[in-house]
Amino acid sequence: MSGPLDFKLYVITGENYHPGRSMMEVMAAALRGGADIVQLRDKESPKRELIEKAKRLKELTAKYGVPLIVNDHPDVALAADADGVHLGQDDLPIEAARELLGPRRIIGISTHRIEQARAAERAGADYIGVGPVYPTGTKPGRQAVTTAYVAQAAAEIRIPFVAIGGITEANAEEVLRAGARRLCAVSAIVGHADPESVCRNLLEKINAWSLGEQAAVPASLPISVAQTLPERRDVREIALTVNGRSERTQAATLLELAAQYKLEGRSVVADLDGAVVPRQLWGETPLQGGCSVEFVHFVGGG
Amino acid sequence: MLREAEAEERYSRQIRFAPIGAQGQRRLGEASVLVVGAGALGASLAQHMVRAGVGRLRLVDRDYVELSNLHRQTLYDEEDAAEALPKAVAAAAKLRRVSGRARIEAFVADVDRRNAESLAADVDLVLDGTDNTATRLLLSDVCFGRGIPLVYGGVAGSEGMTALLVPGDHCCLRCLLGADEPDGDGAPTCDTLGVISPAVEMVAALQAAEALKALTGNRSALRGTWLTVDAWHFAVKEWKLPPPVEACLYCGWGEPTAAANRELAKHEGFVHAEDDLSREDHGDTADEDLSGDEPESEAENALPGDDSEAETENTLSSDDSEAEKLVVLCGRDTFQLMLKPSVSLAEWRRRLAEAGCAITADNRYLLRASTVEGERIVIFAEGRALIQGAGESERALDIYRHYLSDETRRRADERSVGF
Repeated sequence: MSGPLDFKLYVITGENYHPGRSMMEVMAAALRGGADIVQLRDKESPKRELIEKAKRLKELTAKYGVPLIVNDHPDVALAADADGVHLGQDDLPIEAARELLGPRRIIGISTHRIEQARAAERAGADYIGVGPVYPTGTKPGRQAVTTAYVAQAAAEIRIPFVAIGGITEANAEEVLRAGARRLCAVSAIVGHADPESVCRNLLEKINAWSLGEQAAVPASLPISVAQTLPERRDVREIALTVNGRSERTQAATLLELAAQYKLEGRSVVADLDGAVVPRQLWGETPLQGGCSVEFVHFVGGG
Repeated sequence: MLREAEAEERYSRQIRFAPIGAQGQRRLGEASVLVVGAGALGASLAQHMVRAGVGRLRLVDRDYVELSNLHRQTLYDEEDAAEALPKAVAAAAKLRRVSGRARIEAFVADVDRRNAESLAADVDLVLDGTDNTATRLLLSDVCFGRGIPLVYGGVAGSEGMTALLVPGDHCCLRCLLGADEPDGDGAPTCDTLGVISPAVEMVAALQAAEALKALTGNRSALRGTWLTVDAWHFAVKEWKLPPPVEACLYCGWGEPTAAANRELAKHEGFVHAEDDLSREDHGDTADEDLSGDEPESEAENALPGDDSEAETENTLSSDDSEAEKLVVLCGRDTFQLMLKPSVSLAEWRRRLAEAGCAITADNRYLLRASTVEGERIVIFAEGRALIQGAGESERALDIYRHYLSDETRRRADERSVGF
């Protein structure tokens, strides 16, 4: 793993949901649709077979640069050189799993109450599952935690959390509204005839919420309030051209971009997409992905 | 009639150029243009305007001709440099030889808040040939206040930029650069980057082209862009100019002269804007005094308002009441200050010679002297002085105190009565 873990759409295998199609075929479709983390969950197969499946899946996810997580079994994860392991509340404790897996592999854990979420965060989990949000066939008999717990986690938990359990295209908005920015679906994706387009649709919804929030934060919240909000937003970064060079920036406005280049106090004329922008308007001129900015030093001789 | 026929012949190739035609040429003949600065850009602009047949050209400059100007300031020659003629005077003499038809008014002066209004009072267009941001912002304020189109131009190294800013259509220079951008903030100049003549001429040519369009009524042909050009690594770029900024006092709404601006902007090509904005508030007679009939007299005329203190930035305070403002000129080791205008050049000549200075230039417009230590003092007839080669402002103040304050005079007088 390089850099801190982050993802938006978590997909878990569920071979019983797609009789007649292979796991590899279905997961490939999910990856094409944009799934950016994959978990191998198979409560039936013997370990030897599980390792083989994990190896093949790892080969596939690696092509997409997506991490592969193995459910329940640190030893299988190690044997298949998977990127991490996902634990249940009754599985190996996080500390024990960390000892087996070392510092670089991902450890995630399912949580059903805020106390479990806090404990997981303290124990050094890389992410937590928050659910089941809705009643689900994957975990029959477990009571749904509802979006109330999603909102609790959103307000308090600093490590990435992913909402899971009965999430579909139909209810995704509700979960996102409660504060989730990462979704996990099993049957809704792998049980669908077209996993690729389901993934795409879900990602679109997630992105819409992430971006809308980004734009609102600096403008509508005082800095002190913004800083106290949980770290649950993806930092918005756009690609643009500055004086003919391709750059990436987190600057939301022309003024912020000028500040990055330390141009605030200089006699500089700014051009955005073919038009000069008056100095006073820099602060209220938003930057869109793909835009082109030129800063030219005012020429003073004569 | 003969004059008419001669004009037709003289401008025949320009009249044949369809967008100008006979009507455009007539408009040029009736147009008044102010060129501020007679350095590289200004001298070239003035020449373009006079050759094109502009009826009246007003030219103002604060400097005199030096050898280091000649590689790019195409109106001047070695003789002008040897005589240390003020640029406005040297330019006017050359321009009169180019065309006896044009009314040419030349002023040796530093453009500041006191005189800018009257200089721009009755012109149809202002061409920027200045060498500093402070004067450009001042021109922008005055032009946008009066609804006069301003053709900005700047050059340094091998590159330059230019834009025609039209009140009512575009925002002002202050809005483009920020409200109170200080001068000398690192905007490149000819003194920091050097400059090559082709870059000057490219920018001057682009400025002149926009001016011709505006003055001949070819308003739809105006670029409406901010243009940058590099003559060495050839590159031209342009960006659309933004509309007026609502909140701005100068180009936005709600300012006192906005209505006048819009009225004026309606005039196709801005000519014949019989702007009675002019003359009434200062009652100056400069116009009459400075007609082209008596070229020798004109540069000596002081501009209205010259008796008040200069309001310029980058000033140093001094204990001496006479040198309240010591101004750094364009980062080239030159300080400018105002002396008592009552002292004549002849009197200054006597005083400086008494103080041990060598007089290196002495004409009716200015006096130049070398101090014992080798710095140069230049005194213009209107009472403005330049101190060159002093390096530090402290040294410039010392030179002032030693050679130019009343103290000098007292010492000289004491000697002359035999104490």
